[in-house]
Amino acid sequence: MMAVGKVLVRIPWHIIFLAGILVVVGSLALYSASEGSWVPWAGRHAMRAGAGLAIAIVFAFIDFKYIRAIVYPLFLATIIVLILLLFIGTGSGVSRWITVGGFTFQPSEPAKIAVILVLARYFDEQPADKFQSILTYLPTLVLVGVPFLLVLKQPDLGTALMLFLGAVAVIFVAGIPWRYVTIAFISGCAAIPVLWMNLHAYQKARVMTFLNPEADMLGTGYQITQSKIALGSGGMFGKGFLLGSQTHLNYLPEKQTDFVFTMIGEEFGLVGNLFIMLIYMLIIAAILHISYRVASRFAQLTCVGIAVMLFLYMFVNVAMVTGLLPVVGAPLPLISYGGTAMLTVFAGIGIVASANVHDRIE
Amino acid sequence: MNRAKERDFRRNVSRRGAILGIGQLLLTGFLGGRLYQLQVTQNRRYQRLSDKNQFDLRVVAPPRGRIYDNKMRLIAGNAESFQLRMTPMHVKDMAGTLQSLSKVIDLPEAIQTDILTKAKKGPSFRELIVRRNLTQRELARLAIRSAYLPGVSFEKSLRRIYPQGALTCHVTGYVSPISSDEIEQDSSLRQMPDLSTGKIGVEYAQEPNLRGMPGYERIEVNARGRPIRVLRDTDPRAGADLQLSIDIGVQLHASKVLRKGRSDVVSFAEKDVQAGLASNPELVAHITSGDDLILRDPKGRLTPPESGAVVVMDIHNGNIVSLVSTPMYDPNMFTEKLLTRDWRRLNNHPRRPLLNRSTSGMYAPGSTFKMVVGLAALEAGIISEKSSFFCKGDMELGNATFHCWRKGGHGRMNLTSALEQSCDVYFYEVALKTGIKRIRNMALRLGLGNVTGVDIPGEKSGIIPSHEWKLATHGKVWTPGETVVAAIGQGYVLATPLQLAVMTARIANGKFAVNPSLVMHDPNNPPVFEPLDISESALAIIRKGMFAVTGGPMGTARNYALSQKYGGMSGKTGTVQVKRITKQQREDGITKNIDRPWKERDHALFVAYAPINAPKYAISVVVEHGGSGSSMAAPIARDIMAKTITELGV
Repeated sequence: MMAVGKVLVRIPWHIIFLAGILVVVGSLALYSASEGSWVPWAGRHAMRAGAGLAIAIVFAFIDFKYIRAIVYPLFLATIIVLILLLFIGTGSGVSRWITVGGFTFQPSEPAKIAVILVLARYFDEQPADKFQSILTYLPTLVLVGVPFLLVLKQPDLGTALMLFLGAVAVIFVAGIPWRYVTIAFISGCAAIPVLWMNLHAYQKARVMTFLNPEADMLGTGYQITQSKIALGSGGMFGKGFLLGSQTHLNYLPEKQTDFVFTMIGEEFGLVGNLFIMLIYMLIIAAILHISYRVASRFAQLTCVGIAVMLFLYMFVNVAMVTGLLPVVGAPLPLISYGGTAMLTVFAGIGIVASANVHDRIE
Repeated sequence: MNRAKERDFRRNVSRRGAILGIGQLLLTGFLGGRLYQLQVTQNRRYQRLSDKNQFDLRVVAPPRGRIYDNKMRLIAGNAESFQLRMTPMHVKDMAGTLQSLSKVIDLPEAIQTDILTKAKKGPSFRELIVRRNLTQRELARLAIRSAYLPGVSFEKSLRRIYPQGALTCHVTGYVSPISSDEIEQDSSLRQMPDLSTGKIGVEYAQEPNLRGMPGYERIEVNARGRPIRVLRDTDPRAGADLQLSIDIGVQLHASKVLRKGRSDVVSFAEKDVQAGLASNPELVAHITSGDDLILRDPKGRLTPPESGAVVVMDIHNGNIVSLVSTPMYDPNMFTEKLLTRDWRRLNNHPRRPLLNRSTSGMYAPGSTFKMVVGLAALEAGIISEKSSFFCKGDMELGNATFHCWRKGGHGRMNLTSALEQSCDVYFYEVALKTGIKRIRNMALRLGLGNVTGVDIPGEKSGIIPSHEWKLATHGKVWTPGETVVAAIGQGYVLATPLQLAVMTARIANGKFAVNPSLVMHDPNNPPVFEPLDISESALAIIRKGMFAVTGGPMGTARNYALSQKYGGMSGKTGTVQVKRITKQQREDGITKNIDRPWKERDHALFVAYAPINAPKYAISVVVEHGGSGSSMAAPIARDIMAKTITELGV
């Protein structure tokens, strides 16, 4: 057991601090979203973030080898929950959420971390000379494919794709030979028409809307058009705190969740938006930096995976609200209102912290 | 070899991690470029679209549910009205525009300053309501000038109206524009500057049903800002209509009879009326609050109408047929912005028209409480129908003397004769033997001491005292003398007129603990009440006594019996002393109510049910400082009961 003082010194406080900045920005944005009120969102957001920070710090005290030890049971539990979710999950027309003791929870968010951990653990166990063989990579198809299909079945295309891309990044970093990367890319492109055939009608509609939002001004294109108007009218410095007319006249849908970035863009302009992206990139850089310092392969791959997960959250959300990706329902963790994504990110930061504290090259 | 491989692996991971990092940086740069394109390059275009948006979104207020009486006559409805609105961001010179508006429409200075501060405080894109209720003439004038008034618009909206005016004010209560407290509670109300919400009465109690759901619409405009088409996103959903059991005919008659009392209506035209009005501040307050009924009492003095309350209810299903509290006020005053002047007049009125006496006025029930004492004693087996006591005009207890209202005493009394003549000494003796605990228990079962739960907020529970209550509120023990005083419904005992009607209804019903309701019951689905659980033989004795009050040769209300045409009426008088008659007054001979100042006169009460043999309605009448229960309250009850039976049958 490591001395408490040593743990405290090694906790990556700069990451905690940067995450804290995003939480403050998020709380202010939610304060504005409810017309200048701490209820219903901003106050609870700040409280949840406090709990999330505590979780991250508690994780840092857990020896990293214990985290490694529970990876397989954790993965199995995740799969079981995802299966159960198909039967008992809630949501309008989807089974995405689960309610435990009054809290609504979206299990597909922490599933992203479970997949990253299970791949890192898997590669950690392979003999070093086997990484050129395709056979080493075949089992990962199951480890990634099963949770991916279960989330897709809910249906939640956005989360499923993010889970998939995070896993692909870990496999890529683990050292899959370039020739397989090329083959996978080509066959991926070929699979697009097949995927399209299997999409739900509302998912197809979203994609079509994305390609031509103005065609359906009052239907599904409405959100994205209004989001672009809000962002664009914000200009360089924004309209000012609490003064975003798009937001406060209720043109902007989901302003407290998926479109919170847009609201910040309307009230604080390009400067506000770039500031948020900068903080995100700083957190990602800090985590990648830690991945160079940790000792075990498991820790290394885990850190890279969590950095990619964070990047995907940010990228997908921003691309979505700026009309570069279809509206898939992706939160901007730490800023948008929603507990599960926030707790997932804090758990990820906690795992990175634990690796940094307990798994260094001495 | 493995170590070398492991090093290779690390190097590989680091290199590929760096590739990913660079990839992420490139993608982020791409997003930054996209944001630059939207927010800087195309800023002007989106700014314009945003401005257009602001002009075009409208919340459509839902029509509020209407309120009808038992025969579907309108009690509360909605009338079309036009509002003048301004959007500060489209107005170049707010003060100047308001100035020029004030030349064509009525726009007091105070409202102008109010709008200016609101415009300064709030965001400039939020529409403000400048004036409600524009007249047709004002509308026409504005329409002509609309081209010169950018940012000024007029909108059709619905305004609450109460066509019966003051008549049903204490039933419906009123709606008024949303208050800042309400917005604090529910921030979604902020978008609906138009909405009015129920503040008291049925309007408040039934608010969730009456309000409905707002709709949203967007107005598409061309480059010149002229509307091309309206797109309804969501239609507003009207609130549910509501039928009350109130009968407007009975209500009107009840308020007339109660207000008039035993006085005569005078005409303003008379010279002495004009002179008398000016010198009487109470009458001035009365007139300025908007009521023009002036009376002349039997002594020839000018007085305002009586204040008090009347409740008439069905003894089987609890439906309230009439609920009157006087003085009244016009609820239409509140539906728009209430003028401070009017508010002050209502608030400073010496007789407090805003107080709903029928549910929130607490009065000592006086002798109407004697049924409770009698029932408690019969049930406990302390007396029977035959038990008698001798009334010599007073009763000694310790070193105190308790008087009967009749100086010489009533002689030998049994329960029915004691009710008939309202003998106090008989009930003093019975109450002492029964004890306050049993009396309280019976009072609670008859509906006293607790709120009835009728659809009017602010209802009072009254007071039915007990040993524990006295100790908790006064820190002293209960004394037998207080039981004696409680026996005749005075001392600590307090009840609302509604509770007294419920008590009477339960005595008349005999089987169920009827609860009152203002919302009309479906005849096919009558309400179910708890059993009353009081022995029918005990109730029969009490009813016999109540019959004797109007029907007996010595009955206190024998002069005011309801005609046999309507089936007669059984009841009980109550005269409640408000101020002790001083020795001086007794010597001066001023013991008659009418000779004392109004504030010191006794309250007059009467409760009754009718028809005698197959009861259908119960009534309670309270006339504040009305004098005697028999000569003042009983005839009022009789007239209203006759009207009820005429209107609704038996």
